Amino acid sequence: MTEHVTAWLDAYHDGELRGRQLRRVEAHLAHCATCRAELERRRALAALLQESPPARDVTPPDRFVAQVGLRLPRRPAQPAWRRALEIGWRLAPLGILGAWAFVQAVFLVAGLATIALNLGLGGDLVAGWMTAPHAGPGLAELFSTPDAGLSDVARAVRLVWEGGERWGLSLTLYLASMAAIGLLYGSWLASWWARRQSHTQ
Amino acid sequence: MNSQSAPTAEIELDLIAAAQRGDRQAFGELVRRHREGVINVVYRMCGDTHLAEDAAQEAFIRAWQHLHSYRPRSPFRNWVYRIATNVALDVLRKERETVDIDPLPLASSEKGPEIAVEEHQRGQRVRQAVLALPPASRTVLVLREYEGLSYREIADTLDIPIGTVMSRLNYARNRLRDLLACHRNGPEE
Repeated sequence: MTEHVTAWLDAYHDGELRGRQLRRVEAHLAHCATCRAELERRRALAALLQESPPARDVTPPDRFVAQVGLRLPRRPAQPAWRRALEIGWRLAPLGILGAWAFVQAVFLVAGLATIALNLGLGGDLVAGWMTAPHAGPGLAELFSTPDAGLSDVARAVRLVWEGGERWGLSLTLYLASMAAIGLLYGSWLASWWARRQSHTQ
Repeated sequence: MNSQSAPTAEIELDLIAAAQRGDRQAFGELVRRHREGVINVVYRMCGDTHLAEDAAQEAFIRAWQHLHSYRPRSPFRNWVYRIATNVALDVLRKERETVDIDPLPLASSEKGPEIAVEEHQRGQRVRQAVLALPPASRTVLVLREYEGLSYREIADTLDIPIGTVMSRLNYARNRLRDLLACHRNGPEE
């Protein structure tokens, strides 16, 4: 003889049982009058509980909503760091756009400067910046002057430039900065999509 | 908001998102949608209509203050019910000595005045029996019997294990049967 399923009758009555447990209880109820009587008592109690009526409407719904509205504090409470984070997140695309524009401007100016120098224009200006304070060669002579006659800055620039020319450094730098900006923007897009998904689930 | 074709849950998520950004009208709409359920939960726990309305307002104000912490993993209704049950328990603790249970209005019955009186008395007895339960069991019973929450939803709402939900519900039902049987077998019979 199987044991009574009294412990499961509440869950059975409330439709909470599934699968094997549900079948076991139903099979037992089919031949156990005691448990069936107990289940019937639960059903009677549930029906009796519904005879207690809900709250009467003392305040009409519109007035209730208005009263709540009047009592609400100014804004829902949110920690300051969270508000700052929210603002920063929303402004991120602007920052990325600014970074892109800055990189474009830098390479545009560098390109124009290179063209100008190759044409022999404005060389004195750049030479003045790149030579040692006590006087030194102009830019036109930068690449023909031995190292000893150049300032540290000029020597470094010539090394980088000559190396960069061999390896397409300026192009590499440009592509790398574009890739970094693209990655930043892609990350922001992914976080925006993830937030949207979490709101709709 | 003109989105009659969107499912109700999606509309509600839009309202919640707007309210989290500070939109008081959106929050007002949420209050309108859940007002009846919240008032009933508190009323079933306290037995006093005016107290239930005040407590329901307090619950919605707390919900507004903590709206930033709501996550759509569980229904908004259950999250608000959690706040409402906490407010109701606070009210019961504070007003322990002074809560007067509302007398139920005598509703008319199509079957005649005698039946109406009998139904009224039965309703009154049931309400008193529910209010005689310990608060913890009463909360579980109210959420299950009157709001139709599943065991899992009750467990999430009250932040208790499902096993505790089942044992409290079992205790509440057995106790109610005893209390109502006492009434049935009382001196008037």
